Amino acid sequence: MKRAAVPLLAVAAALAFAALPFVTSSNYIVGVGVSALLFTVAAAALNLIYGYTGLLSFAQLGFWGIGGYVSALTVVTFGGNFWWGVLWAALINAAIALVVGYPMLRTNRHAFVISTLTFALLVSLIARDWVDLTRGPLGIPNLPPPTVFGRTFSTTHQFYGIAWGFSVAMLAFLYALCSSRIGRTLIAIKQNEPLVRAQGISPMPYKLAAFAISAAITGAAGGVFVFHLGIVDPLILDFYYMQTFLIIMIIGGAGSFWGVVAAGIALSALPEVLRFSADFRMIIYGVILVAAMFAMPSGVAGWLRDRRIARLRAELQ
Amino acid sequence: MTIDAVYLLQLTLNGITLGLLYALIAVGLSLIFGVMEIINFAHGELLMLGAFAMAFALPVTGLLYWPALGAAVVCTMMAGLVIYEMLLARLKTDEFERSILITLGLSIIIIHVMQYVFTATPRLVDTQYGFEGVQIGAIRITWTRVIGAGAALVAFGGLYAVLRYTQFGRAMRAIAQNREAALMVGIRPRVVARNAVVLSAGLCGLAGAAIAPIQLVTPYMGQFLIFKAFALVIIGGLGNIPGAVVAAIGLGLVENWIGGFFEIAWQEAAVFVIMIVVLFLRPDGLFKRGGMRVG
Repeated sequence: MKRAAVPLLAVAAALAFAALPFVTSSNYIVGVGVSALLFTVAAAALNLIYGYTGLLSFAQLGFWGIGGYVSALTVVTFGGNFWWGVLWAALINAAIALVVGYPMLRTNRHAFVISTLTFALLVSLIARDWVDLTRGPLGIPNLPPPTVFGRTFSTTHQFYGIAWGFSVAMLAFLYALCSSRIGRTLIAIKQNEPLVRAQGISPMPYKLAAFAISAAITGAAGGVFVFHLGIVDPLILDFYYMQTFLIIMIIGGAGSFWGVVAAGIALSALPEVLRFSADFRMIIYGVILVAAMFAMPSGVAGWLRDRRIARLRAELQ
Repeated sequence: MTIDAVYLLQLTLNGITLGLLYALIAVGLSLIFGVMEIINFAHGELLMLGAFAMAFALPVTGLLYWPALGAAVVCTMMAGLVIYEMLLARLKTDEFERSILITLGLSIIIIHVMQYVFTATPRLVDTQYGFEGVQIGAIRITWTRVIGAGAALVAFGGLYAVLRYTQFGRAMRAIAQNREAALMVGIRPRVVARNAVVLSAGLCGLAGAAIAPIQLVTPYMGQFLIFKAFALVIIGGLGNIPGAVVAAIGLGLVENWIGGFFEIAWQEAAVFVIMIVVLFLRPDGLFKRGGMRVG
């Protein structure tokens, strides 16, 4: 497959996905489609910070939850509309990421991982315990459906259009970012930070920007997701979401844009297929994670790349 | 608000006993990090296995505390050995993120298998000491807490002696301080890493077994504690064992004081807020890692 064929294929796939609500009348399948799109965006944002920049961030879970709460509160408590909610979710997350990201990124990469994890836990404690703002464990139910120019998107089929538009826009932005000079700098930071410094590039602003952008996108995706659920409560910060994003990114191949997007779409259907019982599903998730780390450390995309390189080598001999 | 001296002393004692148990977990994490430069995400699940082993061993031993404690520690050490040989031994050096993802997967598997088999219903664990306590003046503290804290102190003494005076412990410190030099003098990293994992699994099992009669035993109990322990090893400086102990006891005290005088919500959040502040002021933790020192 030639390189140029990939974006064409992506456009075709995006258009095929847009057609999903017209193909099926099942609310359940369209609902799974909405989750698939939003999980893919969150996994692609995680890919930006881990796959490209080499920083494993568990804070994504916190940003996802903050995004959910911010967009819900904008609509319910502050009387804004859905779009303002999503915008605020992105902006507030970017601001929080800059503030907490700076001390975290000054440490080494070991401490970074752990401190992002504790950030996510702190967010879930706040969601549960700051009852005046978040309404505690009961959450905020009955989120109103979004409206555009007076038209209400109340059914799952209509909401799918919003999720699709949002996801395509975010993925296009991430693709443009990852394939730009900034994306290449991030990869360089991951591969050899001292060399990047030696080239006269300060890694800190790049790392901080990558962290803030991935926080903003994850938060916006979380903000859209809670309107799909119709409720926001502390369960939005369940570690299950983080595991899902991680598995999507790892199976797809960290550092491979299209690999992660393809895995996001394919694997979001998986929890629905595996719906025997919640426990059993999680056991399978765990087994997949461990097995993938040993069998395909760089995901399906990495495995394909290795095979292509091996074939080229064989042709040379 | 007037501060009642007796109440404060009661909170302080509770804080120290809790802090010592936190320290057992944090020390294990620090030991593994020092020797292998990885973080074991499944460490909390070792603690949970220790607590479950205690819960099942007690009825067998006729509620006798010490044999059950011993059985729980042996159990978790074996679990540690299996985890090392099956998963951790395959990691190469400098695969930190990979180690986290693998042990995260393992932790998901252990939690949900335990929940599938034993259900999520919390278990109350009864021992020969029941829920009686010692009364010193107006202060009351249960025997299980006193003994848990005592066992933790003995374990620290033992760990200090092992790391300082035995070949077994010296090898661990050597690897932690300079991996290449240790290799050159003929220390086998694989064996030392295995010993470190088994030893820290044992410490964690001891913590789990000691916590079992104090708290309710559930498949999720390890997760709450381990996240705190992660923050503690960051506050104390990654790989710094005395730092982890000091941070853990400090946290036990702070949590109990906050819980006693302020809203309960702040108690859980304290550790994370302290961690972010510490990272701001001292990115390497309060006590910088200078090899793995014990004295």
